[in-house]
Amino acid sequence: MRDLKHLYELEKLLLNVSNDYISAAQQEGKLCIGTVCDNVPEPLLNLPGCFSIRLRAPRTGSMEIGTYYMTNFLCEYTRALLERAIEGGFNFLDALIAPDGCSMLNRCVENMELLKTMKKDHFFNEFMEIPMKADDNGLFLYKLQCTNHILKPLKEHFAIDISDDAMRQAVKEHNRVCDLIQEIGQFRKADNPVITGYEFHILTLATYVMPKRDIIPILEETLEELKTREPDEKSPWKVRVEFVGSEVDDSDIIKAIEECGAYVCADRFCYGSFPGRTRIEMSDDEDPLTAICRKYMYDCQCARMMNKDKILGRRQYVADLAKEYKADGIIYEQMKFCDPWAYERMVGTVVLRQDYGYPVLSVDRPYANGGSGQMRTRVQAFVESIEIKKLAKDR
Amino acid sequence: MKFYGGCDSGSTYTKCVIMDETGKIRSDVTLRSKIRTVESCQDAINQAVEKVPELNSPADLSYLVGTGYGRNKVPSADENISEISCHAMGVHVVDPTVHAIIDIGGQDVKGIAVDTDGTVLNFAMNDKCSAGTGRFFEAMSRAFEMSLEDFSKLSLSAKNTIPITSQCTVFAESEVISLVGEGKPTDEIAAGIELSVAKRCFVMAKKAGATDRITLTGGCAKNDGLKKAIEQVLNLKVIDLPVDPQLIGAIGAAEFARRKGSAK
Repeated sequence: MRDLKHLYELEKLLLNVSNDYISAAQQEGKLCIGTVCDNVPEPLLNLPGCFSIRLRAPRTGSMEIGTYYMTNFLCEYTRALLERAIEGGFNFLDALIAPDGCSMLNRCVENMELLKTMKKDHFFNEFMEIPMKADDNGLFLYKLQCTNHILKPLKEHFAIDISDDAMRQAVKEHNRVCDLIQEIGQFRKADNPVITGYEFHILTLATYVMPKRDIIPILEETLEELKTREPDEKSPWKVRVEFVGSEVDDSDIIKAIEECGAYVCADRFCYGSFPGRTRIEMSDDEDPLTAICRKYMYDCQCARMMNKDKILGRRQYVADLAKEYKADGIIYEQMKFCDPWAYERMVGTVVLRQDYGYPVLSVDRPYANGGSGQMRTRVQAFVESIEIKKLAKDR
Repeated sequence: MKFYGGCDSGSTYTKCVIMDETGKIRSDVTLRSKIRTVESCQDAINQAVEKVPELNSPADLSYLVGTGYGRNKVPSADENISEISCHAMGVHVVDPTVHAIIDIGGQDVKGIAVDTDGTVLNFAMNDKCSAGTGRFFEAMSRAFEMSLEDFSKLSLSAKNTIPITSQCTVFAESEVISLVGEGKPTDEIAAGIELSVAKRCFVMAKKAGATDRITLTGGCAKNDGLKKAIEQVLNLKVIDLPVDPQLIGAIGAAEFARRKGSAK
């Protein structure tokens, strides 16, 4: 297939934490608000006058200092973030909102604060509590936490407009990004798709790390490009897989999977499109903060949510996506030492195999280094086992 | 007569097997892997071809499959297939009654559950760490200043076992040197090393869903001390294969080559 016009630019952009779009927006006087977790409602960080980015630590090398503060029993994502913060990699941030999505992220940002890693005079940190059960009490808590730890501080520190109208405007922009990503994602349903899972992940990942206003025209142009893009004559993939699990901001792992012959037709992970890039439904009868919190709480697929409906719902969600996107198998991943996903992966693997009948490859992985030889061997063997069974069934 | 090749490019040894169209193994070669993978594979293929009078050069092979860690570097290969699939197929070819494999290679340990048709039902493998692999045994035997074969014999002579607490190759070597320095019986230390690796194999086998009719493959399958320790931790008798267990990956690759080449 012909290269996508914006792919190279976005690949390059994702090699660093900051990028030209962030710098340009800041030069215009806009404030860059960082976050580390999907549980912080993004539209609230994208009110007029500010924009959000999800923190990553691309090209991570040694994590010795991060490990010293965090111990090697905590996940590498949090250690890599702390290491990058100590190296000065997040100095461009104007504020950082951290939820207790997991205690590891909390410890990570707490260490950033204690070590005074951010250099701007007006910089501030906020820590939010996130409900562990999705119900009315949880919604009340969520709204309270968003008000006290996002909206009020943004208004007090930076005089940001936190009115309902401002929130509606932010949701509108957020929904435009989601709609574009979802429309682009639909191309993955084709038997011989015009977009690779890797390309889709690059596009999706970019929506988390640059101002929404700048990614929208790129997505619009890419969507039009895809409508006329010719696929390769013969599909290069042997099987289709859904990629499921914890935080994934390393596109190399998707690339490695696809190089082993498995098309990543659906994504259900943190930094992916499901549920991160699904629209927030608004109505005139409900205030926007409630609508935003409702969406984030009820649609959240994070393993930290503990009510039974949520636990069972997560497996159903994965199975439904696999069916919708015609996946032959599921790759269930978990970052090493990620506690919530360690349990979720183990149980999810068994349930999706036994109750839903999907072949499942279960892997734990380091934060970076997704294309390692042993990961490739596992994926290739998984692809071969599905392919051989498929061929036998067809015969 | 058509001939088919399987080349298993391992991190420590490179193996090549040539099979004829009836599935009979006509030649096999095992060489120590060099730093240049392509060169090792080429040498192994050339030597295996030389052993078959009907073949003049590797180009006479109707189909060649590469497998192992260097599988995508096997010269002139028509295809590469993961060592997990090849071990399953290789074992199925030599003994279809086997249900599961513990493959202990130079740099990884795998548990593989095999379906009745020789395909992979499930598998588990270690990640980057070399604990419990061939590299681990090489480091241990080096610490004992003896060959791998003598190390295995030494462990079999032990009446007791001194447990080795560390799974890490580097730390375990240090622990072993300390124990030897303290004057502990070397045979009991060796038996402790075998047991610690056997426990790791136990985990891989169970993770893959292995229950019965288990065999060992890979270079470490020739280590009788390890075999005994694995039988002890799994509480069953490991199945002996009628061929060199180190060749199983290459045999599986050759069988895949035979099936794919015949279907061409």
